[in-house]
Amino acid sequence: MPQAAEAINLSFLSEYEQELILEVLRRDEELRQAEDRRVRKLKGELLDVKRKGAKRGSGKYSPRSCGRCLEPLSILTVFSSQCKVCNHDVCQSCRTVYPNGSWLCSVCAKESDLKKQTGDWFYDQRVNRFSALPGRDLVKVSLKKKVQSKRETTGEVILRSAEVNPDLPVPLPRNRSRDPPGGIKGSFSENSGFHASRESVESKEESWAKPSQSDTESAENGSIISNKTGTESGCVTPEQQRRDGRLVPASPPGSGIATAAVPPREAGSEASSARPSLDLDVERLFKKSIKRDPRANEYLSTLDLRDGSARTGASMGTRSRSVPGLDTREDGEEEEEEEDIDKLVSFHKRSMACSSSSLYSKSTLGSLMSIYSETGDFDSVEVSGDVVFSLSYDKTTSSLQVFIKECHGLAYGDASRRLSNPYVKCYLLPDKTRQSKRKTSVKRNTVDPVYNETLQYSINHSQLLTRSVLISVWHHGRLSRNTFLGEAEIPLDSRDLESTHLDRVALLAKQDAAAPPSLFSHYKGELVISLKFIPPKKSPFPLSKGKKEELGDGGELHVLIKEAKNLVGVKLGATLDTFVKGYLFPIKAKSTKRKTRLVKKNLNPHYDYIFVYKELSLEQLQEMCLELTVWDKETVVSNEFLGGVRLSSGEGIGIFLITSACKRDAFYLRPMRLMERTRSGHQAGIYSDICHHAHPAECDLGLFFFVSAAILMQIQTCLISR
Amino acid sequence: MLSHCTTMTDGDYDFLIKLLALGDSGVGKTTFLYRYTDNKFNPKFITTVGIDFREKRVVYTASNGTTTGKTFKVHLQLWDTAGQERFRSLTTAFFRDAMGFLLMFDLTSQQSFLNVRNWMSQLQANAYCENPDIVLVGNKADLADQREVQEKQAKELADKYGIPYFETSAATGVEVDKAVITLLDLVMKRMEQCVDKPPAEPANGNESTKLSDEQPSEKKCAC
Repeated sequence: MPQAAEAINLSFLSEYEQELILEVLRRDEELRQAEDRRVRKLKGELLDVKRKGAKRGSGKYSPRSCGRCLEPLSILTVFSSQCKVCNHDVCQSCRTVYPNGSWLCSVCAKESDLKKQTGDWFYDQRVNRFSALPGRDLVKVSLKKKVQSKRETTGEVILRSAEVNPDLPVPLPRNRSRDPPGGIKGSFSENSGFHASRESVESKEESWAKPSQSDTESAENGSIISNKTGTESGCVTPEQQRRDGRLVPASPPGSGIATAAVPPREAGSEASSARPSLDLDVERLFKKSIKRDPRANEYLSTLDLRDGSARTGASMGTRSRSVPGLDTREDGEEEEEEEDIDKLVSFHKRSMACSSSSLYSKSTLGSLMSIYSETGDFDSVEVSGDVVFSLSYDKTTSSLQVFIKECHGLAYGDASRRLSNPYVKCYLLPDKTRQSKRKTSVKRNTVDPVYNETLQYSINHSQLLTRSVLISVWHHGRLSRNTFLGEAEIPLDSRDLESTHLDRVALLAKQDAAAPPSLFSHYKGELVISLKFIPPKKSPFPLSKGKKEELGDGGELHVLIKEAKNLVGVKLGATLDTFVKGYLFPIKAKSTKRKTRLVKKNLNPHYDYIFVYKELSLEQLQEMCLELTVWDKETVVSNEFLGGVRLSSGEGIGIFLITSACKRDAFYLRPMRLMERTRSGHQAGIYSDICHHAHPAECDLGLFFFVSAAILMQIQTCLISR
Repeated sequence: MLSHCTTMTDGDYDFLIKLLALGDSGVGKTTFLYRYTDNKFNPKFITTVGIDFREKRVVYTASNGTTTGKTFKVHLQLWDTAGQERFRSLTTAFFRDAMGFLLMFDLTSQQSFLNVRNWMSQLQANAYCENPDIVLVGNKADLADQREVQEKQAKELADKYGIPYFETSAATGVEVDKAVITLLDLVMKRMEQCVDKPPAEPANGNESTKLSDEQPSEKKCAC
């Protein structure tokens, strides 16, 4: 019960006793601080080891070079030179050999050492410990706004609360201060929530065995939240959004966000006008905690005139804090904790709005943003003309050839001097990083430049479908900024790449550029999972914790994360180290967080991992929503979001699937019919095997439903990924 | 109140391992830890207020895993908890921060032994996972004439849980070190396991299965 600390009530102690305890906790804090320093130092050492070379997924390296120091590998190696954890080929000197003869590459060895020495092994285990009484915890946790660090200890919590508020060591201060404006939390007073939490501790205390009666009460509270969730999620269908977008271009009632404030880049697309309302819905839906960062104002950009600007700043602030280079505290683990898709997405949206932000210039983000924040003028030029090009795929070299022949009738980049020095730039979307940028030469003083240049991308054929080529034309201003002359986006899924026929496509201004999204452009892979609910029936096998058995509402939800397929990294040809993270809404709390193990260097990772949520009733479950997200583990920068699904078994056991309607847009939830039970027979087999192993008698009690969710994961991964 | 001769907060160690002692009031948790850290015995009974901790630096020689034979400096933080009922909500909250547990009872008190199973379920509910590393300790072994709990009885219970059992005496110091070191060893082994063999099987996500063997007869007690 990781939440236990939240509910500690010291008021039953005398002042003298409290003082004694605080004294102990202060001593503990000293020790903890020394420990923190030590841990930070250790993590610094890991970074050092990593910086020494090391192949990342992309980039061109000879296959016969060491994955760490990049020296060529000796051809004479007889034994496998692959590190068994990261699968890189590694030379002798980059290995750490253990006494039992096995070895790992220096980075993996260091990582594993570090996990032990920092105690992360322990904290990682603890994170997976789910709360024993979700019904109650939902209420309790809903009052808790701040995500706590996974290393937080009980002592720390008590001490902090005591020091903030010495007279009242009772509730934790953050419970109160973080209340977001309005929203669902209004339905409970702090007191009641607090009460509930205190009660839960006390009831446990009294009772080695006594069943508690407060159950129904808190269950009711719980369902208030979730009912609300249910209704709201009902509204968020794509149809409706689109309608909203078209018919109600102004801000939705109460949102306080005016569409006018959306920067020109997006103003025209229907998606963008729908976005604010969606954003709000999603926010309310999952009660995202809105961080109000005191530093927020520093990050505000001039473009941002919205009412919501405080929040904009906040989310950017949060984000930039986790960008290495802006923050000296390079604690990978903590960064990871802060990742939250909602946050990332909203960050993304804002970041486009604040395109001139210079904050990022030092970080990798700078190049990621370049597609939008290109130091250039988008508006000063009336786009005209077209571009002639061909696209073809060479199977022998696995490369996509973008042949840029010429352009016609371009606008003048420098209107006053009637001058254009055009060049063509390409991105292979969705990768908007420098790695996918290709440029032609600059042609001087012409509006009909002839290039006859070929830009190449090395990419697997199978990945092509999910990509599109963005061709943009720019005026190269020698002393001034580059000027945008127009662009065209060519989705590859519907294109014949066999022939090299030339295409002539009109250039478009930025805002019109959003090509109708094809289904494939959002395909980010699939996640194969199965869900099983074990009803709260008295189980024939001894449940481990007997006490809870008697409480009697102990249904369990098992979520088997079988595998993911065809994951697509943003970077070209990258392999991924992935894991799946799960939350059970309505409350995105630590208590419902589960993680699978990390599967390295695999685009089709098998996790075979079960998330178990206990003490749930079927009724509760129907109002809950399971969020599964897939992440690419990064140690130095924050983890990269690859996509996700949200599943809810609300009305008629429908399933909601996160996807994106429009490119570079936020998620929304799309209802998807549940697959027939029978259809997933063979998967049922797989799972029931595992169940069998676990609970021999439980199998037929369970209600299975399976999803082979084509997880159309999202979109603008690139921008939000770093 | 107590002076702690060593507060080594210099961070010059390889591992910080947090252990926690629990059990009924008066079984000797505080004196046990005092014996372990300072090698002294204080026969006076001073009830612990809520929580306390002591520290000790030890050298640990790895006996398995990838680090066999290596020695490490381990900083032990030994949490001492109040056995009294009224502190229960506070003390159980600290369970989640400990990596291993010394579950203690008094060999001269049948009741303290009967309560062991209650403490077990408290641990399962509140520790960082459902089957943490635990060592069962019967204390006050020196008071042979007042003994109420037979070794066989205690051993059986420990076997049922699949945990080691020691009969110690804080007064004489017998077996005290061994009990703690055994626990440390279990924790270190668990650490190796967690890190070097990431759970390939879903078993990890499904703690209830693991426990079912350890706890075959953990039917609810009637007290």
